[in-house]
Amino acid sequence: MFLAPDGSEIEIADTAARFLSRAIPLDRLHGRGASPALSADLRADFAAMGWFGLVLPEADGGSGLSAVEYALFYREVGRHCGPVDILAQGLAAMVSDDGRLRGALLAGEQWVALAVEDGPGLRLLGSHDAALALHVERDAARLLDVSVVETAARPSLDPATGMRAIVCGTPRTVAVSSDGDVWNLGQLGVAAMQVGVAESALALIVEYAKVRETFGRKIGTYQAVRHACADMALRGEAARCQLWSAAAALKECRSDAHVHLDAAKHLANRAAVVNADVDIQLHGGIGVTEEHHAHLLLKHGLLLARLFGSKRTLLARLLHAELEV
Amino acid sequence: MDLRYSEEDAAFRARARAWLQTHVPPSPRPPRGRAAADFDRAWQRKLYEHGWAGIAWPKEYGGRGLSALQQVIWYEELARAHAPHHINTTYVGLMHAGPTLIARGTDEQKAYHLPRILSGEALWCQGFSEPNAGSDLASLTTRGVVDATDVVVTGVKMWTTDAQHADFQELLVRTDPGSQRHHGLTWLICDMRSPGVEIRPITTMLLDEHVNTVFYNEVRIPRANVVGEIGDGWSTALATLSFERGTGFIGDQLELYERVQRAIGLAKQVRLEDGRLAIDHDDIAERLASLKADTMAIRAMTLASIAEADRTGVPGPKSSLMKLMVTSTHKALSELVGDILGWEFLEFDGDRASHPWTWDFLWSWVFTIAGGTSEIQREITADRLLGLPRAR
Repeated sequence: MFLAPDGSEIEIADTAARFLSRAIPLDRLHGRGASPALSADLRADFAAMGWFGLVLPEADGGSGLSAVEYALFYREVGRHCGPVDILAQGLAAMVSDDGRLRGALLAGEQWVALAVEDGPGLRLLGSHDAALALHVERDAARLLDVSVVETAARPSLDPATGMRAIVCGTPRTVAVSSDGDVWNLGQLGVAAMQVGVAESALALIVEYAKVRETFGRKIGTYQAVRHACADMALRGEAARCQLWSAAAALKECRSDAHVHLDAAKHLANRAAVVNADVDIQLHGGIGVTEEHHAHLLLKHGLLLARLFGSKRTLLARLLHAELEV
Repeated sequence: MDLRYSEEDAAFRARARAWLQTHVPPSPRPPRGRAAADFDRAWQRKLYEHGWAGIAWPKEYGGRGLSALQQVIWYEELARAHAPHHINTTYVGLMHAGPTLIARGTDEQKAYHLPRILSGEALWCQGFSEPNAGSDLASLTTRGVVDATDVVVTGVKMWTTDAQHADFQELLVRTDPGSQRHHGLTWLICDMRSPGVEIRPITTMLLDEHVNTVFYNEVRIPRANVVGEIGDGWSTALATLSFERGTGFIGDQLELYERVQRAIGLAKQVRLEDGRLAIDHDDIAERLASLKADTMAIRAMTLASIAEADRTGVPGPKSSLMKLMVTSTHKALSELVGDILGWEFLEFDGDRASHPWTWDFLWSWVFTIAGGTSEIQREITADRLLGLPRAR
């Protein structure tokens, strides 16, 4: 029993943090011309580091790591509002049983968007250039060819995530998996990203509260600010620790892993969205400017909150869930 | 990172569970008074005789010398077996005074007191807070005059839980009359039967008398009862407080989880004003489910804090977050059940057994105030965990 990152897990998280702060710094998302897409060069860099195949068995070209390293990586991705393409790409490699396609996915040569239900149709999240899209449900995941349908770009609230709607045609199914782990890892990855969003929001305001002065004092000396920061820390801590529980439960194939995952996603949603909200408020005027990172965290948190279980469905499931004792 | 128990831990759990199955007292703990204290003593005596006292205390002081995780396993099994809660009249001795004596006591103090604490023979109470020194403990004014043989104490302590049942008290007094704040304080072992000690119960909003005001009128305490150095009581007191909020909440976590499940059961039976079952109201269903997730997080936070302490060798600065989480979850659950129960919730005569939810609701304020208010826990978090600039 050791419910915290340890040894090589910490090394992987540190490597991810260094790589991501160079590859996808939050600065990339500012300005009207900013693009949510990962460039071909960046995809190749991600592929070279093996990030798309973290949990794929080594025999399938992956790194054969566990849900724990996976969660640690996506927490770092979340800190930088990393695009959901990264997640979709990795999950798609799990779905594909065609060795050549899997190789192309792991190498970042084939691009994958995330497909989500929107009424009777599908909405595509991620790079506009992706020819494939992954649609994940709890008990099935389908890899779709979306090059055969007509799509229309939608203006995305979240600068980190491109958005398209399918306006004509039906995507062709390329591969199907009935392995529930695709959903589980997707949910774990998004929960981890939300923990990262919550942590970034706290880090921004703590840094600012140490230097910004008002009425002749640092704002970090005012209890109105300090207590709100402490509550952000608590939301983050609860979500982070439950994320560890979910990751370890999934790694150990516990029968109640799905309960831990639902709880982790719910707590992470709340931590991300509320912390991002409070972060903007405590920054004052500068917090509502485009040039500040604060709004990026809120917008990304709101988008992630809808993926792999929104509040309503998570709570409905948790109400009747039973834990293994 | 893993959630697996070692064979050793699993075997420990199995032994604890088997023992508890046959040894949990058949009758419930009396709600209050001398009968409750006697019940606690008898239960602690039984634990001591069967080797379940002081699980994480060092062996040389009569403990079992086991890990923090095994201590947590023990609390979990206590809760699972519906055994007497470990937060009872033995709590201050086992969780505060004992560990403080282990850290700072003389050989004589350890030899006399530690076995009596472990066996339940001696009950302890705390003497830190005063009418004008609660969260701001360092402003305390109870005076101790040091002479050749004794420290002579005059003053008032307040909010002393179970003072009327305690044999000894951990008493923090100002021995340097000109001193300010955390300087010039001394930590004393006060025999509660000393002449000049007067205990006056305070009736709380729960209609009970679990807390007291204690008056000291020139109470003579031998210098041999000074723990640490004269004038260095603040550092001794901090040693005490650091033991207070570690892993001890795990029992509350399991209870909270069970209480959430019971509240869900309640919501499936009770109809609200509109004639629909409480559980069929989205707001109530969502609050119940969200509280279930919170209780799961409390367990994860406990296990994570043990892991972090294992790696760094010291308890982390996150115990304040733990207290905030446990007490706010407790309060939110009580409020929610109030919304479900309706008029029944407004019946109360002070009896916990017949009005458990209302009792818990009232207790939630004790919980968020005692042992450092939620506001102070947020201050501690801002200072120590976040490193924000201080105004105090």
